[in-house]
Amino acid sequence: MARNGLSRLRKGWAIQVRVIHALMIRELTTRFGRENIGFLWIMVEPLLFAGLVAIVWRLMKGASEHGMSMAAFAVSGYIPITLFRHGVSRSVAAFTANGSLLYHRQIKILDFIIARFFIEILGGMMAYIFIASILMFFDEFPVPDNIGLFLAGWSIYCLFTFSICLIIAPLSEMSEAMEKFVPVTTYIMLPFSGLFLMASWLTPQVREYMLLSPFVNAMEMMRKGIWGDQITAYYNPWNPIACSIVAAAIGLALCRRVRRTLSLQ
Amino acid sequence: MIICRNICKTYKHGSNRKQVLNNINLVVERGDRVALLGRNGAGKSTLIKLIGGVEMPTSGKVIRNMAVSWPLGFAGGFQGSLTGYDNARFIARIYQRDYSELREFVEDFTELGKQLRTPVKTYSSGMRARLAFALSLAIEFDCYLIDEIILVGDQNFNRKCHYELFEKRRDRTMILASHSPQIVRQLCNRAVIIHNGEASEYNDVNLAVEKYSNL
Repeated sequence: MARNGLSRLRKGWAIQVRVIHALMIRELTTRFGRENIGFLWIMVEPLLFAGLVAIVWRLMKGASEHGMSMAAFAVSGYIPITLFRHGVSRSVAAFTANGSLLYHRQIKILDFIIARFFIEILGGMMAYIFIASILMFFDEFPVPDNIGLFLAGWSIYCLFTFSICLIIAPLSEMSEAMEKFVPVTTYIMLPFSGLFLMASWLTPQVREYMLLSPFVNAMEMMRKGIWGDQITAYYNPWNPIACSIVAAAIGLALCRRVRRTLSLQ
Repeated sequence: MIICRNICKTYKHGSNRKQVLNNINLVVERGDRVALLGRNGAGKSTLIKLIGGVEMPTSGKVIRNMAVSWPLGFAGGFQGSLTGYDNARFIARIYQRDYSELREFVEDFTELGKQLRTPVKTYSSGMRARLAFALSLAIEFDCYLIDEIILVGDQNFNRKCHYELFEKRRDRTMILASHSPQIVRQLCNRAVIIHNGEASEYNDVNLAVEKYSNL
């Protein structure tokens, strides 16, 4: 029996991998088409956003702040935040937008969220690597001190963002009002995203509150990974991990509930 | 075998509730050709969607012990902004079929030619029907779920469908939602009338058609 269960699990896994792969290709062709640079467009938006902000900050605030290159600091903040904002906005109404594909039973609603989010992660990472290499060439971006720590921070950031998407997607199907609130909410949370500052710049009291935010913890990890001993970082990786587990559990329960009542053309 | 056990389906729109299906029990054996009869809005398409797993029943269970196609109708199954070829490729991927074989069959069956290179949303409903049929035939299911309206194509398409589905694949199971007494008498060996959310089964198709015309 246990063996049977395991082989079924393996089979199901193989099917889901195939479906997500197919969905990603489909999503890329519908969104970006095959003309000119094609799917490379996925990195253009985060690239432009982070790049332009980096230039503006560099010109307005000078070359460095607290021992960090201004351009690199802007990039290290804006790429993750773009991932978050895009990830969330792409999961709004993700089920109904893809509804006609639910005619194929092997496609599950979770696959839609996963496929879309993977594309955002890919875009974000490609943009990050691209822009960091250019900035390194101009000596504006340090060679990462601890790439492992950076990647751990990035993974945790992605994990938490994904678990938020798991909640947003079903909620947006349950209530139309939700859709209107998403842009405002993502805007209001900007100060709590660790985008503009490091925890070490704050007074101990404010810092304590700031470190309750999972985003700040993950962001500190990424920056520590880049600058190493040049900066002081405060983080607890378990905060974002625990928050992700809770959010994912809620999200999965909501997805299951919404799937039962989803009515499709 | 397909077993529908105590299926209920209720749609909610705001505070409005509408019970479409009420406690449906149905067993479809391998090789059965079941006609679903019922007036507009009786719940034929809903039942087909539930059997196909597109929507979930509010309560009750659908058990499928064979490969059941997706519901073949004008809507669903395709991504409108993608071309016919892209949709075929997508379907080949998720059903793990060889794309070049599938493509050949689709080109041959649909006779859409260059149109396959244009987005599906620009297709007429007849063209969509051709594509849907071609893909589901290429994948070879044990059981086909068919919305009858889709069979109202042109002569040439009708002939092809007839040959591929009702002659070459005689042994397959079929569940067909229909209004046409003629098609039901000709193709089906069992019938289910859906009325007021309840289903009544008939093994005599002629009797069922008669009952249905008096509804």
